[in-house]
Amino acid sequence: MLFATLLAASCLCAQEEESGAPVAKPVAQKTAREEAPIDLTGYWTAIVTQDWRWRMVTPKRGDFPGIPLNPEGRKLANAWDPAKDEASGEQCKAYGAPGLMRMPTRLHITWQEDNTLRIDADAGTQTRLFHFHSSKKETGDPQWQGTSAAQWEFVRTKIPPHVPGPIRGGSLKVVTTHLRPGYLRKNGVPYSGDAVLTEYFDVTTEPNGWQSILLTTILEDPQYLTQSVLLNTNFRKLPDGAGWNPTPCSAR
Amino acid sequence: MRHLLALLLLACSQAPAQIDLSGEWGSRYTWDYLERLPGPELGDYLGLPINNAARLKANSWEASTQTIPERQCIPHGADYLFSRAGFPMRIWTEEDPVTEKVTAIRIRSYAWGVERTIWMDGRAHPSKYARHTWQGFSTGQWNGNVLTVTTTHLKWNYIRRNGVPRSDEATVTEHFARHSDYLTLLTYIDDPVYLTEPLMRTSGYVLDPQQQLEPFPCEPVEEVVRPEGVVPHHLPGTNKDIQEFPAKYGLPAATALGGAETMYPAYTIPSGPKPVGSPRETASGLEILPVQKNIYMLAGDGGNITLQIGKDGVLVVDTGLASMSDQAIAAIRKFTDKPIHYILNTQVDADHTGGNEAFGKAGNTITGGDVADDIGGLDKGAAIIAHQRVLDRMSSSAPFGALPTDVYGGKQKDLYFNDEPVVMLHQPAAHSDGDSLVFFRGSDVISTGDIFVTTSYPVIDLDRGGSIQGTIDSLNRIIELTVPAALQEGGTLVIPGHGRICDEADVVEYRDMVTIIRDRIADMLKRGMSLDQVKAARPTEDYDPRYGSNAAFIEAVYRSLGRGK
Repeated sequence: MLFATLLAASCLCAQEEESGAPVAKPVAQKTAREEAPIDLTGYWTAIVTQDWRWRMVTPKRGDFPGIPLNPEGRKLANAWDPAKDEASGEQCKAYGAPGLMRMPTRLHITWQEDNTLRIDADAGTQTRLFHFHSSKKETGDPQWQGTSAAQWEFVRTKIPPHVPGPIRGGSLKVVTTHLRPGYLRKNGVPYSGDAVLTEYFDVTTEPNGWQSILLTTILEDPQYLTQSVLLNTNFRKLPDGAGWNPTPCSAR
Repeated sequence: MRHLLALLLLACSQAPAQIDLSGEWGSRYTWDYLERLPGPELGDYLGLPINNAARLKANSWEASTQTIPERQCIPHGADYLFSRAGFPMRIWTEEDPVTEKVTAIRIRSYAWGVERTIWMDGRAHPSKYARHTWQGFSTGQWNGNVLTVTTTHLKWNYIRRNGVPRSDEATVTEHFARHSDYLTLLTYIDDPVYLTEPLMRTSGYVLDPQQQLEPFPCEPVEEVVRPEGVVPHHLPGTNKDIQEFPAKYGLPAATALGGAETMYPAYTIPSGPKPVGSPRETASGLEILPVQKNIYMLAGDGGNITLQIGKDGVLVVDTGLASMSDQAIAAIRKFTDKPIHYILNTQVDADHTGGNEAFGKAGNTITGGDVADDIGGLDKGAAIIAHQRVLDRMSSSAPFGALPTDVYGGKQKDLYFNDEPVVMLHQPAAHSDGDSLVFFRGSDVISTGDIFVTTSYPVIDLDRGGSIQGTIDSLNRIIELTVPAALQEGGTLVIPGHGRICDEADVVEYRDMVTIIRDRIADMLKRGMSLDQVKAARPTEDYDPRYGSNAAFIEAVYRSLGRGK
């Protein structure tokens, strides 16, 4: 009897885990906004306490120690010419999704609609859209911000031995592809159209009440990188949009 | 059935989150390769929310200070080691064998083989008088998928490896988030001494099951032969090295000096400096803390009281303020019923001898049979031992019952009590001319009196024979006597006149501070500056947020140097 009960509970929870809704009593699928385990909305500011020299100002050509570029990538980076980018209307190359989140930027995060989270960045006046529950194929020309598929990653309490319990928190996972080739670093460190950007967003609260986004970024690019690049970035929540300062892209 | 499901749901709601951080984690250096491996450039304080005190301390930092034997094996502090240095590490958990609940998360770093414990069993952080360590004391709790760790009791260290300091009053909060094979760490440092806003930074690790942590032995050697007592540092305004960094990268010099405004986009968020901190010691509440072996520290009574407790009875070093005597004796009585036989005074001040009379009355002297029989009353009251100079100073003002009953006039006085040698070592011109260090050779603990404190600058009583050079000599004497255990931590422990339990590294930090300030004021004196000019030049600026009022110390150093000592 006990075993059967545990088994039944186990099945119920397991199905809930996979689909997001109990199979035994079907209900309409919740929207991403409804099921969000963390609240990312609001105004946020980047905090640049490390890597300042490569983030707050544009470093010189060839200043890319530590970036695992292959010879082809290195060659391109050493040929960086901001004037050429300006002339070809590509001054936003450093503001694509992989580079944007390392910029000294503020973010404004809102729900564009129930299954689309929108991130506006005032640096370069860029907009990223995170699509949940989307099976749309990538179409059209690649864009600076690419196409981003998002999903919540829930943390559930477990009932021993293998039964998932209620949600206790979670994070956001975003995979971005279909990127227009751009720069990981403003001084011409390249990524290609084959690059895949995976990001995890966590929210933390500090002892003084500050809320932070802890962003884990993994960039894979078989064309220019010898191994994936792992970056960690943090943003602090702002009380409002005071200081929001949209600026155009700059190649320099 | 319904009850069983209810129980299951209850179990759901009460069980902890099950994120496993265990494994071998490797570092990834990408953007921050230069800072994390070769090290930051001198004068690069970009993006750090530091105050002027931190800037002066960093500008005074001379890299060769790392060659001092006492500093060679000092590991990175917990906040720097894991968030900046980011060496490979191993994480594992320890469980209660009965309940299987995780009681602690352990982390071992490749660097120096440092191990950290993050307590997950809900225990409280230790007393403010407890010893500080390089890795501090950490407790953790899960918030969703994020492990949040709070660390206190850290020793002095740095937030950037070019001399930018982090004080021993900092509290560090860390958030560990694991996603697949990636581990991200967000570190939040709140240092009321050197930061105007909390410092936040991030670091990342990648799971690497093939990783093996190699041993990391460290043995101090004499790397540079230099005269005794020399502490390498730059005098204010003389460090030319720090000017190279902004020039090299075309940055304004003011930008390179950092500050909270430099960490936000376009410097748009204004920030004012926080009020300068001051010592936070309060006199409320007495605590008895174990030090090691026979030795305990009674804190909270003005000056610290050292207790040696064993089969022979109780020996106390100093007796605190007279007004606190009853409470202090009551606290000891709750702790042990052994009689107080000896009182050792390290100096003459009332916050160290004020309780002599009451403590004396509460104890008795060990006397021989014939003496005790023939001369009645000799065993009444504990013996009070001090240097002759202490008796000389107290004779005119203290009550008879508070006066030392046994004095020494030479270099040292030996006792053997509770199965260990106890040696009083006269320091002829430190805080005063009657100071004694008390060295418990078996327990390996030194009680310093006010020659060394953690709550203020040294108090140098020139009128009673104190001097700056004598203070530095005595601090160096303490360092000679102490022998640290691994990683320049533990080993011989030190009980200061005021403040928390320490070890050699804490005395080294303090000795360096006193020496550096002495050198600065000596340089100003050489340039003919008056006392007012010296005070206006703020030679203690980098330490004022930590040690508070500086006027008496500056004046004492100035006058002491003026007298040629």
